Amino acid sequence: MTEARRLSLILLVALAALVAVAVGPFLLDTYSVNVLTRSLLYAAVALTVDLLWGFLGILTFGQSVFFACGAYAAGLVFTHMDFSGSNALVALGLGVGGALLTAAIVGWLAFWHGASALYASVITLVLPIVATQLLYSGGTFTGSSSGLSGFTSFDLSVEAWFWLAGSFLVVVTTLAFVFVKSDAGRLLVAIRENEQRCKYLGLDTSRLKIVVYLVCAVVAALAGYLYAGYAMVVAPELASFVFGTELVIWTALGGRGTLLGPVFGALIVDYESAQLSGSYPFVWQLIIGVVFVLVIVAFPRGLLPVVFDIPRRLLGWLRPRAARAAVTLSTLDLAETQGVEPGNGPALAVSGVAKRFGSLTVLDAIDFEARAGELVSLVGPNGAGKTTLMRCIADGAERSAGAIVVNGYDIGRKPPEACVALGVGRKFQMANVFETLTVAECLQIARARHARPSLWRRARDLPLPKAAMHVIATTGLDRQLATPAHLLSHGMKQALELSMVLALEPRVLLLDEPTAGLTKTERMQIGSILIDLTRKQGLCVLLVEHDLDFVREISSRVIVLHQGRIVLDGSVEDVVASELVKQVYAGSGHAGIAHETASPDRGSAEAVSSAKREMPV
Amino acid sequence: MIAQTLDIVTTAAILYAVATGLLLVFGVMKIINFAHGGLMTLGGYAALITTQAGLNPWLAIPIAALFGAVAGMAIERLVVRPLYTRPLDAILATWGLSIIIGQLITILFGRGVHFAQSPLSGTLDVLGESYSAYRLALVGIAAALGIGLTALLQGTRLGLETRAVIMNEDLARGLGINSGLVRFATFTLGSALAGAAGALITPLSSVDPAMGVPWLVSAFMLVLVSGASLLSLLAACIVLGGAQVLVATHFSPVLGGLTIAVLAAIILRVRPQGFARD
Repeated sequence: MTEARRLSLILLVALAALVAVAVGPFLLDTYSVNVLTRSLLYAAVALTVDLLWGFLGILTFGQSVFFACGAYAAGLVFTHMDFSGSNALVALGLGVGGALLTAAIVGWLAFWHGASALYASVITLVLPIVATQLLYSGGTFTGSSSGLSGFTSFDLSVEAWFWLAGSFLVVVTTLAFVFVKSDAGRLLVAIRENEQRCKYLGLDTSRLKIVVYLVCAVVAALAGYLYAGYAMVVAPELASFVFGTELVIWTALGGRGTLLGPVFGALIVDYESAQLSGSYPFVWQLIIGVVFVLVIVAFPRGLLPVVFDIPRRLLGWLRPRAARAAVTLSTLDLAETQGVEPGNGPALAVSGVAKRFGSLTVLDAIDFEARAGELVSLVGPNGAGKTTLMRCIADGAERSAGAIVVNGYDIGRKPPEACVALGVGRKFQMANVFETLTVAECLQIARARHARPSLWRRARDLPLPKAAMHVIATTGLDRQLATPAHLLSHGMKQALELSMVLALEPRVLLLDEPTAGLTKTERMQIGSILIDLTRKQGLCVLLVEHDLDFVREISSRVIVLHQGRIVLDGSVEDVVASELVKQVYAGSGHAGIAHETASPDRGSAEAVSSAKREMPV
Repeated sequence: MIAQTLDIVTTAAILYAVATGLLLVFGVMKIINFAHGGLMTLGGYAALITTQAGLNPWLAIPIAALFGAVAGMAIERLVVRPLYTRPLDAILATWGLSIIIGQLITILFGRGVHFAQSPLSGTLDVLGESYSAYRLALVGIAAALGIGLTALLQGTRLGLETRAVIMNEDLARGLGINSGLVRFATFTLGSALAGAAGALITPLSSVDPAMGVPWLVSAFMLVLVSGASLLSLLAACIVLGGAQVLVATHFSPVLGGLTIAVLAAIILRVRPQGFARD
């Protein structure tokens, strides 16, 4: 399916939905039209909950507050200033502005660098509690517990409100749908799946979350504004935690991460509540509660996917499913590569770096420099601080002391995404990719920093830098572009992550045991790729490795770390010939090492020789 | 001055009694039991039935604990167990259970507000200040609860295994500890404590189907700032409970109601580990 056809299909469905909204009032009785108008607006808010929770992974209990913000803005202005065209605009501005301000504060609190998912949920839970208490304490201004009513509003018929609410919902849903299916929308799923990897791909996830949160707040506020205009009554319950959780319940029932599920969930449940709560008020709530618990436990994806899966499976038997349209890879034109301009001096300069956890010193007085085109191996036994050093280079907030200069730029206290912008690329020890996304999608996200993804389209081709293309071609990843990452073999996942990091066009590449768990052939493949990267592409590679034979084959220089200090920094020959390295790896005679580096005397020589005898190899 | 100090101490004691059950479940299972509020409501109604049946009001506490324990056993088996690996979903499912408990109670007892008989009435003289005897008794009960739980965790084999599961569940399982049983026992105990807490607060507030919700939020925030330690929970209760009393008396009761939630959110922002030591 071509891009144009995909988008026109979405548009066609949206038009059909608009037609349904248009004929709705002629088919339904007035009572139902009245109730459904409210349900349509609630559905728009449920949609924002789905964007935040289903796509971005932020379980939010507080969307009710933004709805109430729009509603109260209208209620307050129309009550205290009378209704007029200009006042209606003032109210709209206040509602949207208030929601933006609140969302900005909440976003700043909840999505700071390093905040957990639970903490973000806690903040969204505190929000409605604060908001309702403030509304209660507002006296006659906010109408306290009884809210505001009896204000005049837009003079529209019941049908017109239905059309307004319905069109609003269709427009918002269509926009959201187009967005989440676009290249930019996929970033939300990537953040939900693996926020850490996103940061190390140079994406400012905190900012992205806040932007989405702000947009969702505005949509909810607009829905609230329409609600107040049509219902002509606002009450503190609109901002409450209970309404906030109801929105979550509708989203969960319909199916998180489906957009349409939450919309229909909200429409059906809210409409039925109004119909049934008259005759069986408590039983209806009880049924909703029971179904909700059942869905969460047994169908975490919600009911819409369950409903859709049945016909899809039936169809699947009849005709084979078409393979997912793959993205075409191409090599990025050299003129279009956008890596950071190299500054003056070495590619990487580490001086006086230390890392302490309380009284425990993991790294101390680390000094070294590495030039472009060098492949420096970091060796040392477990616990020597190799991975910690990598972390300190890739995240400015990690080290306790010292300075790190990349490409001539001091990384200061910058977060990982800013270090990526300076030219650092970090590959983790365990293959760290987006498990549910395909290989092509993973690579696209890795390029998102350079090529701003479209908010509504899907790119058909993906230009990648030469280095990344080289890895993909050598390992055969290009034949598996449509495979979800979690189905890849361990070696392929490592290769995918390496090509994702290379797609960032780094100047300094940090590789943490890239060959761990790989077969001999795969290892040699990676080895020749690394040699190519340094000699031909001029990257500076810092490699953590335990396999000394491998290190000997590919390194231009070796740094030996032991107990958080550099004990040796020299050529491959120096290190291979060194008694010290054998001793470090043999794991005996710590005291001996300290002596040898400080002052080689007879005692330590004995220690060395005894260590040699104990060597297991 | 004395009255205010007593207010702070008794408020902290009540919060402590309410939050221990939630803390225990959070510590061992790493999930937030949002049914805690519902179980408290259940305990409140158990107390109501007990006193209406003419039994000794003190009996209401163990009976409410029993109600909570039985409900907790069923909840752990049917709902919580499949959700161990999905902690955010566990919050939602247990909130759903809270709704179910609330609606069942509404169907059985109606929406109205009831009052249970207090086991202690009248006042006591403390340093020349006459103060509610029941609130003072709550300090003793909360202290007994804290000491009892500490003794259970520190002095028994089950406590040792529970602490092992709190620290490192995988290792504990590797050493042959039946962590499923530990979780079951913990959830049952946590639910029993929730039920007892529901009975304990009945003399202070009315009994109605939504009585647990405000307490749930306070308890939840207190547990988040305390981590998994009974001692840091005590510190959190005294500091945040004290702040609540001070704000409520000196500024406004409405702001007082917000104090715990807002302060806890700020504390977690500044110091993610809260009152816990590391």
